Amino acid sequence: MNVTPAASVEAPAILVEGLAKRYGSGPTAVDALREVDMMVQPGEVVGLIGPSGSGKTTLLKALGAVIEPTAGRITLGGEVVYDRGWKARDLRALRRDRIGFVFQQPYLIPFLDATDNVALLPMLAGAPNARARERAREMLAALDVAHRAGARVAELSGGEQQRVSIARALANRPPIVLADEPTAPLDSERALTVVRILDQLAREYRTAIIVVTHDEKIIPTFRRLYRIRDGRTVEEAGEGRRFD
Amino acid sequence: MINLAAADVRAGLGRYLLTGAGLGMLIGVTLTMAGVYRGMVDDARVLLRSAQADVWVVQRHTLGPFAEPSQLHDDVDRAIAGLPGVAATGRTTYSTMQVRHAGGDLRVMVAGFEPGRPGAPAFLVAGRPVTRAHYEAVADARTGLVPGDRVRIRRHEYAIVGLTQRMVSSNGDPMIFVPLKDGQDAQFLKDNEAIRNDRARLAANPAFAPPEVRDAVAALQTTNQSVNAVLVRVREGFDPALVAQEIRRWKHLQAYTNAEMEEILVAKLIATAAKQIGLFLVILAVVSAAIVAFILYTMTLGKLKEIAVLKLIGTRNATIAGMILQEALGLGLIGFLVGKIASLAWAPAFPKYVLALPEDAARALVASLVIAAAASLLGIRAALRVDPAAAIGG
Repeated sequence: MNVTPAASVEAPAILVEGLAKRYGSGPTAVDALREVDMMVQPGEVVGLIGPSGSGKTTLLKALGAVIEPTAGRITLGGEVVYDRGWKARDLRALRRDRIGFVFQQPYLIPFLDATDNVALLPMLAGAPNARARERAREMLAALDVAHRAGARVAELSGGEQQRVSIARALANRPPIVLADEPTAPLDSERALTVVRILDQLAREYRTAIIVVTHDEKIIPTFRRLYRIRDGRTVEEAGEGRRFD
Repeated sequence: MINLAAADVRAGLGRYLLTGAGLGMLIGVTLTMAGVYRGMVDDARVLLRSAQADVWVVQRHTLGPFAEPSQLHDDVDRAIAGLPGVAATGRTTYSTMQVRHAGGDLRVMVAGFEPGRPGAPAFLVAGRPVTRAHYEAVADARTGLVPGDRVRIRRHEYAIVGLTQRMVSSNGDPMIFVPLKDGQDAQFLKDNEAIRNDRARLAANPAFAPPEVRDAVAALQTTNQSVNAVLVRVREGFDPALVAQEIRRWKHLQAYTNAEMEEILVAKLIATAAKQIGLFLVILAVVSAAIVAFILYTMTLGKLKEIAVLKLIGTRNATIAGMILQEALGLGLIGFLVGKIASLAWAPAFPKYVLALPEDAARALVASLVIAAAASLLGIRAALRVDPAAAIGG
């Protein structure tokens, strides 16, 4: 167990205990995660690093409630999602309301404009269209892409698309954001901008953000890191370098 | 909630409309095939209605004069005219043949009729009725003839004096009406060589040696005293079915009411064509469904990553299935509209009458939507199988 509880009285946004995930069975079974422990506080941005095949994506999928762990326990925002074979009933609603996703590619819905790509989340949660679009415009403004609100996805640059995808991830004000290599397709400057934005939003909205990355440019910016190797996590202190 | 289907369609409107238009061409062919069948049925009904007869008398044990050959003595009408309830009779001949005109030929049904009696041409739209005993004719406008034209029917030339409309045989061949005697000649008269040959055979046969016997037989061989049908108009207050029954009972002839004749024309004469058209309709429906299914499936495959993201962020399966279904129904609707317009546009170019009935259009609309909905199942299945986990990772 490498978890170091933060010096905070607030309940952790993400708490992972003894998580394991095995694919297949018998002699061909693969243990993607073996004994993963992790804790992320609200408002904290944590890096998750490790070589290819180490289990980063599997961990992210388990945290994103799209695959079922073989063993262990996941608690998100104080609510137990998985516990040794037991799982929460409505994982779809959980993903919609409590988890934001940022991907390596923005994966915006190409037939919607920037506003509706962001507004889709509040709408799925039941917000009226007008209110959802208003929220979307706020988020786009927070990410400095308000001027591209009516643009179709194909009309946006790579950096703008990634900002819109971050706005989408945060549109429902989720307590947790999972970012899967969000800076991979970006140059250094834009990559650092994205991490700075995530850091600002984490502090502003008290969102716990896990950033999976290989990107050497951004790794020094994290104050805390989890290194994953052979399905096991090790907590490390990061450099927490300033963005400027 | 955003209408995802409408947004997706708007984003690729040109391609979507083009796909719908392509499907519409297929639906247009389907509607046209249905219209051809309806036209055949309607032609048969018009043929019967325009004859202005209540009972059709034909040779016993036949379904004549259109479905089977029928020959009656041309004086049988006098006996029929004396039956109770008979208001008028008209003798007719019907024979489908090629007639020559302006160096070419036309396929027509030549009808021999008696002016002013049942079986005479109705619905004159140009020219005048036949007034002379021979070599004048009234033609259906679809022959392309006009008053003043001349056509050659077997050995004789006829002047076209008038035009009718919608007078075609059950095969769709336009009709030419000639006086009864000319109609009999057109159908029964032998050519001169055959008559000379018959006379030589007669002279060589000792059984016909007495001159009066030989002359009588020769006269029988060269004249024609047959008609194909006698049409009967029934007096008001009399039941055509009962009059037909009387004719069958006392005159040893077959008699059909209009309803029975319509049954023969529709259920028997064009039954094979109807089956053929029905099979075409089924094939076209299957092809249309396959095309819509293929289009929607490939459209869905092109959006798998986006569908995975939609599912990951909490979109219900029903919303995604609804998006595909709505796009499919939209294609069906566009296909129907284009098909309907196309079928109306090209119908006049068809040699056969194409009758577009509103109820067929309604059926086609429902069928288009049902086929489109069924075809969307493949795309929906592909979308529902998308794992939201696919959105995470490479």
